[in-house]
Amino acid sequence: MTEKDEETLDLIISYILVGGVVLSVILESFGLFLYCRGAHGFAVSWDPVWRMSGKNFFAYSAALFLSLGRGAPSPAAIMALGLVILMMTPYVRVVVSTLFFGFKRDWKYTVITLFVLAVLTGSLIRH
Amino acid sequence: MGALTGLGGGSIMTPLLVAFGVPIRYAIAASMVTIIATSSGSAATYVRERIANVHAAFYLEMFTITGAIVGATITTLIAPRLLYFLFAGFLLTSFVGMRRHIGEELPDNVPHSRLAEWLRLHGSYYDKALGRQVDYRMTRPIWGGAGMFIAGLAAGMLGIGAGAFKVSVHELVLRMPSKVSSTTSNFIIGMTALAGASVYFASGLLYVNLVAPMAVGTTIGAMAGGRILNHFTNKSIRILFLLILAYLIVQMLYSGIRA
Repeated sequence: MTEKDEETLDLIISYILVGGVVLSVILESFGLFLYCRGAHGFAVSWDPVWRMSGKNFFAYSAALFLSLGRGAPSPAAIMALGLVILMMTPYVRVVVSTLFFGFKRDWKYTVITLFVLAVLTGSLIRH
Repeated sequence: MGALTGLGGGSIMTPLLVAFGVPIRYAIAASMVTIIATSSGSAATYVRERIANVHAAFYLEMFTITGAIVGATITTLIAPRLLYFLFAGFLLTSFVGMRRHIGEELPDNVPHSRLAEWLRLHGSYYDKALGRQVDYRMTRPIWGGAGMFIAGLAAGMLGIGAGAFKVSVHELVLRMPSKVSSTTSNFIIGMTALAGASVYFASGLLYVNLVAPMAVGTTIGAMAGGRILNHFTNKSIRILFLLILAYLIVQMLYSGIRA
């Protein structure tokens, strides 16, 4: 990989990180605004409706996305979406870096990033 | 603070939440997600300004994520009290090591390493405080990998981000300049925190109404921190890190005594 390629990869990663955090902050803030306008005000409610949980993170995220298509999303769904995007941000940067190294035929780092990606994917799926 | 020192901030966030009456397990889980926010919010700037070393980050992530998975698996085999004392010992060693380098602005006489060269673990960044381009190289990549495996173990076993371990390994073993060390650690902890958060996600400890406000706050703080880091000298970053390290050692010992 040339110096120019490395600069390009750094720029792509930077855009992914900025995009992920900005989008998640917007969604979380909007969800919070709706939450505080509700019955709870500023107090933390331990009602299971606010819980974000599942056995498979990808399956949870997919179900959450699909649920958005059905009617107006609840504040819990909006905040959960913000957090899913936040959690997916480092994952996406590993995926994109792996593809970039592969595309540039930098096999050394393709193998390294592929290993990280495999372990990370495993930890998000198997629990 | 997390953005500046390369620590996730979980060690500050968790006790704060507990003080507000949040049960400890939920506090740790929520802190883990906010570490992702700290990491991504600040690393965006660090990677764009080319202070964080992406090659080194990917190489080291391999070891630290493996350590985290092993740590999370064997955590039930070792008494928590022993773990706290063990890791307090590790942090104390790094505290002593870092103190020796306190007056050093940039590492000098870094031994040449063929493996580090092969892995392209060298780099260059523009230091705003020094007003010049800084070229640097790294050494002992195998020991660095082993250190990062231990950092991962600590993270997996104790449910922490273990940023303090990572920064110490980067500076004392690999001999990165302080800014490269803290920014590269910042970049890495987002990925390790995600692996950690996945465990809490599966155990049902994440509450969106608790995590979301914390994530908003830390993202904004981290983005601000990310913008100012390069204006500090390496020495001041190291002093800030040492102060937090001292606090962490006391916290670990206290947890060990109470466990």
